[in-house]
Parts: sequence; structure tokens; C-alpha cells
Amino acid sequence: MTIKIIILLLLQYTFALSVYANEKLYIFACEPEWKSLAEELGGDKVKAISATHAKQDPHHIRARPSLIAKIRRADLIFCSGAGLEVGWMPILLQKAKSQVQPGNIGYLMASKYTPVIDIPKTIDRSHGDVHPEGNPHIHLDPHNIILVAKELNRRLTIIDPKNKSYYQRQYNNFIDRWENSLSRWNKEIESIKGKRIIIHHKSFDYLINWAELNIIASLEVKPGIPPTASHLRNILKNTNKNKVDIIVISPYDPTEGALWLSEKIQIPFVTLPYTIGGNEESNNLIALFDSSIKILQNALYDK
Amino acid sequence: MFLYKLLISFMITIFVFTKFVMADELEDRVKELESKIAEMENKGGGKADDSSGRKKIYGNEFNPSIGIILNGKYNNFSMKSAEPAVKGFVIGHEGERGREGLQLGESELNFSSNIDDKFYGSMTAAIVKEDGEDKVELEEAYIMTTPNFNFPEGMSIKAGKAFWTLGYLNEHHVHADDFANRPLPYRVYLNKGWNDEGAEITYTLPTDYYAEIGAGVFRGDDYPIKGGDGESPGAMSAYARIGGDIDQDQNWRLGVYFVDGDNSGGRAGNDGDNTFKGDSTLYVTDFRYSLAPTSNVREQELTLQGEFFARNEEGTYDDVVFNGTSYGWYVQSVYKFNSSWRGGLRYSQMETAGVPTGLIGTNMDGQGFDPTSVAIMTDWTNSEFSRVRWQINQDKLASGSTDNQFTLQYIISIGAHGAHKF
Repeated sequence: MTIKIIILLLLQYTFALSVYANEKLYIFACEPEWKSLAEELGGDKVKAISATHAKQDPHHIRARPSLIAKIRRADLIFCSGAGLEVGWMPILLQKAKSQVQPGNIGYLMASKYTPVIDIPKTIDRSHGDVHPEGNPHIHLDPHNIILVAKELNRRLTIIDPKNKSYYQRQYNNFIDRWENSLSRWNKEIESIKGKRIIIHHKSFDYLINWAELNIIASLEVKPGIPPTASHLRNILKNTNKNKVDIIVISPYDPTEGALWLSEKIQIPFVTLPYTIGGNEESNNLIALFDSSIKILQNALYDK
Repeated sequence: MFLYKLLISFMITIFVFTKFVMADELEDRVKELESKIAEMENKGGGKADDSSGRKKIYGNEFNPSIGIILNGKYNNFSMKSAEPAVKGFVIGHEGERGREGLQLGESELNFSSNIDDKFYGSMTAAIVKEDGEDKVELEEAYIMTTPNFNFPEGMSIKAGKAFWTLGYLNEHHVHADDFANRPLPYRVYLNKGWNDEGAEITYTLPTDYYAEIGAGVFRGDDYPIKGGDGESPGAMSAYARIGGDIDQDQNWRLGVYFVDGDNSGGRAGNDGDNTFKGDSTLYVTDFRYSLAPTSNVREQELTLQGEFFARNEEGTYDDVVFNGTSYGWYVQSVYKFNSSWRGGLRYSQMETAGVPTGLIGTNMDGQGFDPTSVAIMTDWTNSEFSRVRWQINQDKLASGSTDNQFTLQYIISIGAHGAHKF
């Protein structure tokens, strides 16, 4: 009898409709770079959270309970897309509103609005954890930020039309600052163009393309397959023929392989911030590019 | 049992309280939403133009995602004679230790797809060898409403045959487990997993922390009930669980569950002995805690997990009146040393109910012995799609019997592979 009463109570509660007491537009960003962009464009009209942080490999997030609670209330989901979140986003989406389901106004995948590189010609898992949609780490090309900001601004004004003029001001302001910074960065990267680097994973391909650096090797055996001793020895052997200037890793990559190789070849290895919070300076998108370029310039000085 | 009921009612109180707090703001919010909808309609719909390019639609683009799990193992048992019954319990076939030697495990075939905007469907079949024959076991075949269904936000219904919400492991497929076999309470109470036919409604609450409640009705023809007389529903369930983050590197989840049912058809053990008829209620509570010491779960992670079961039976065992409660529990911890290697330890134990004089000397008579099982495992993960595992078990299922077991196992995932639950 008690059991039946409990069930009745549960069902009664279950059917009750409830809504958040929340004035601000709630934005569920998958990665810190998109949380930062959402805050730039949304100002104090939005509340943005990020599912991951800089030290966390965004491919490997757990669909943990707090994320279910957060996505449940999201008015806009803002992610890289292109398969980056495929291991955890589908589970979370089952708990989200209709408005943020794929194809709807509140579902914004940044890579849909930018050029995507590294699209594999053939897809086979023996090539590692390949993304059939191409490389999802699009935020490290500063031109892409403008394209994504434009789309985010469009979505914000549709979802929250009463603040349309506010969002437009925020957008114009951000784009102005961004374009000023971009012309400065274009000058700064002149000194590092053509340098030869070793990467850990394809995380920096957009930055590398934009700064016209050359990738000589990757520490991962295949994308998503961790470095092995024999693979590192092979790289070492090949560097005798191919000069390398620098090794670049992200804050969430393991350092052992990079450290070992850097000592053997006698070249520096640097950790680029990759996203917001990746190092102390990188607390917004402009600072992220400032810091990344500065680190590369310092490491490549007199090379 | 009082404790469980207290826990459940406590959780309900919290939920109901949060609801009343929010009810005041409800009206204003609804009005605001209505005006928002009206505005959007005036603008001619706010659909995103995600239709990039003029993609040709080929016939097979609507095929469901297909995933295959292959799994093979080598078992070696120190106890060469047949495994003793779990003292004090009557268990099903799947709860046994399995075969010795080289063998194929369950080969799973999964098809899943959105059916339309409002439904999602999935089917998983396992091909297994039983009594020298290859058999197809339907593990899951269910449909589920998507968030586009016109339910209140956060609510969904799943119907068909599925691994229903009960404790931590039951919702997960065996290939996703951290150990090569399931802990004792799963083997004894659930015959490895509860996937009855039925329907379940779940509701994720609009709270800042994670809170979910649910309830279901079932045919009652699978463990822990089994032997419903077809007069459906033969079983019902309810659960509540909460969870959250402690900080950016630590999170937790806690739940209470029960499933209750009447089986006038009778639930016999694997050997056809000791048939139970009557009302069974299984109460479960589970917790899981995980910690990423370096902030990155890809590289290092510690998980701590436990489940506690209590089964109350009121009815008859072989026509002898039986009214008793037994218990089972396990705790486990798994540590990921780096992106490839993990190690884990698990302890599980059962506690039998006392038996009436009519059952003395049968399998039901535990004679005060508590069956235990200890497992130590280590596994190597090459990519998200392949894993090799070594495991050592020590099972003490009956007084004076020790079975040391060794298992070497591979688990492979091919094709589309759904995201893993927490």
C-alpha cells in the first residue's frame, strides 16, 4: 500500500509542469572558447556555462549528472560540432528541450558556419579516431571567429528578440575589437611563417594553417592513439633528415613524449593555451591569440 | 525496509519543495514565453538554416546506425567440478560462472535511429552459445520519445524491452562494464540484468543540481520477478536520483530504486529447484563518485562505485510459506593510470534470509554462510574501440568451497557506437 502511495506521489509530481525562474538566456557551451564568445556577444543578458575546461580533452567528457541538469535548462547549445562532442552530446541531448534539438534554432554547431579542413578522403578506423566531418578545432583560425560570431548574433536576436538592439551593439563592438587585433596579429605572425613543428594531435591545425607553419610529425601514432616508444624513436630518426624548430602540445596532452623528444633533438617544446584558461593570460579570445602568438614568437626567436 | 521508504519520501519532499518555490514565478514566465512564441511566429518561424547545400538523398541514408560488439575470452577455474549453488539463493542460468576454456562471449548487434521527429528506436540482439547451440537473445528492442514529443520539458517515455533504470550497472550493456563478470547481487537477483518487457516514464527536474525521477510498469516475466501469470502489469518500479559536481574534477550520483511484482506463475531456479510463488520486492540504492586527479579524464581517473540490494519475498518456496529479506552488495574502485591502462578491485557479498523448517537442507538454507566474491582486474585500451582485459576472481559461494578463476578477455566495438551513459 505504501508503495502505491509513493508511486502516485511520484506520478503526480512527474506530470507537474515546472519552469526555471531564470531571467537570462541560458547558453550551454561545450567548450570554453564558445562560452567566452557567448559572453562577448550576449553581455549581461545571457548566462553561459562551459561543459569542459582547458585541461580537459574535449573529445573525452563524461555525460556527468551536472551536465544533464545544465543542458536540461539550456535555451541555446553552442558547440564546435564536426564530431568533437559525439562521445557525450547525444546522451545529454535526450534530456534537453525541443528548442535545442538538431535542426532547431537553439542548436548551434560552429563548424557548420566555417570552412573545415582535414576532411578525410577515405574513412577507416585503422587511421585512428578520424572525424569524417573534418577537423573540429576551428576556433584557432581568427577568421573563423568572425563567421561564428555572425551566426551567434543572428541566433541570439531570434531567440531573445526583445534585446535585439543590445545584441547588435555587443556584436559590432566585438567585431571592431577583433578586426583591430587581427591586423596586429597578421603582422606578428610574419616572423614565424614557414617554421617546422611537431604536434601532439591535430588540435592546432587551424592556427598552423593560418600562421603558415609546417607540420613535420605528430606524437600520436594515429589520431586518438597515444604515443608509443617506437613511434617516438621513428620521429627522432626522421628528424635527422628533416630539421624541426619546435614541438607544440595543448594543456590536456600528456607531456612525457614531447619532453623526451625535445631533449633528444635539443629543440624547445611549448604548451600553447589552446582555449580560454589554457594559461594565465588567456582569459578571453583576444588574449588567447595574443598569448599563443607570443609563445610561438619567443620559442622561435633566433631559430 | 523502513530506511528505504524514508529515503524515497525524503527525496520526494525535496522535489516537491523546489516545485512550490518555483510555482510563484511560473505564471509570469509562461506569459513571457507566450509573447516570445508569438514574436517568433510573426517572423515566419525561427528555424535554423542547417540545410547546407543541396545534398542528394540516397536510399540508404535513412538506414539506422549499426554497431557490432565482439567479445571473446579464455576462462580457467580452479574448481573443476560444477560450480556450487550460491548458498541460500536460487539463481538463474545467466548468474552462473560460465564455461571454461576458450570461447566467444556475447556478440552484439545494435541498430538504432530516430524514427521521426518524435520517436527514437533501438534494437540490440546478442548471439550466444548456450547448451552447445548458437542462440539469439533479444537484449533490447525499444522506442523512446524524443524531446520534440509534446510532453512537458524533461519528460520522456520508453517502451518495449530494455535494460531498465535500476541501480548503476543495469542500464549499461555488459561490454561497457569495468569487470569481465557482474557482481554477485546482479548474478543472484537479476540473472545478470533486468530487461523485462514494459514501459517507463522518466522526468528530469528543472533544478540546478541533477535530479531525476521515474516509474514503470512491466510484464513481470524477468528476474527479479519472473513467472508473472500474464495478467499484466505484473511488476512496477519507481526511482529517484540526484547528482552533481563537487568541483570541476569531482562528481557524484546517488539513487534509490525499487521494483515490485507478483509471480503466481512461479520462479524456478536454473536447476528447476525451489520454485518461488508470491510477491517479490527488490530495493536498490547506488552511488558513484569519480575524480580526475589531473583534471583530464582522458589521462587519469578514479571511480568509486557501490550498490546495495535488499529483496523481500512474501509467498511460498515449493509450497512452504516463506517471508524473508535477503541482502547483497558490492563496492568497486577503478583507477586509470594513463590513457591506456586501468586497474580495478571489487568486493561483493550476499546475506541470506533465515528459512522456515520446511526448507532446511535445501539450497535456500544458507546456514548462516555469506557467499562472497573478490575480483581484481587490469585492462589495456588501445583506442575507444578496442580493449583487452585480465581478471582474477575468488568466489566463495558455499561453505568450504573456494573457486579461483582467471579470465582473459577482448572487447571490440565496430561501426556506429552510441555515446556512453555516465
